[in-house]
Amino acid sequence: MKMIRAFIRPEKEQEVVLALEGAGFPSLTKIPVFGRGKQKGLQVGPVHYDELPKTLIMMVVDDKDVQLVIGVISGKSKTGFIGDGKIFISPVEASYTIRTGEAVL
Amino acid sequence: MKEITAIIRRDKLPETKKALEDLGYPSLTIQSVEGRGKQRGAMCAEMDEEMPESFCTAVKLKPTPSTYALEHTLPKVALYVPKRLLSMIAPDEAVENIVQGIIRVNKTGKRGDGKIFVSPIESAIRIRTGEEDEKAVS
Repeated sequence: MKMIRAFIRPEKEQEVVLALEGAGFPSLTKIPVFGRGKQKGLQVGPVHYDELPKTLIMMVVDDKDVQLVIGVISGKSKTGFIGDGKIFISPVEASYTIRTGEAVL
Repeated sequence: MKEITAIIRRDKLPETKKALEDLGYPSLTIQSVEGRGKQRGAMCAEMDEEMPESFCTAVKLKPTPSTYALEHTLPKVALYVPKRLLSMIAPDEAVENIVQGIIRVNKTGKRGDGKIFVSPIESAIRIRTGEEDEKAVS
């Protein structure tokens, strides 16, 4: 299993979630976050924005589905401009459903 | 070391904190999150029945409760359920204990009890002293 953490534009969130649902991955957790990338924020005229709002979408999927999910997320959230976000993948060793106590996804 | 990420019901938080304290692992980070599981939100069951067969969206997706809710401006509450996300770093041998403790307290037998994920952590540093790895989390 892998945990996928995608930092995407907040305005693209709905589109991404619907696409994921259409592809068969309805389960996710979303967290509003603030951060910046290697551009050190955003300069609009005289105003400098150090931290920009993003939406963090967190989901755990089977190893074989990782590429598919990445494709769906990046396909929907790509605009081609700076600030589209990042996707991070990390290993998950076990996952438990609390309702049953079983160690299955 | 392992990271234990648990997504639980909001009203179970005090009990969970108490249980973890009793087990001897009181340190944790709590976040307010929104999310959903296989059931695609709280009102899914009712909405599935209402959804007409012919319903098809412009985005060329399979009709789902969310797309339907979007089209009909049903309350957003149907799409995501507010939860609490607990994250804690623990030594390997404590993981089983903590996981079973969380399950024992949070289990109601109904949908929406939440999930627990266990993932490996390579290194940890305590900022105050500079201690590394196992020492930093004990």
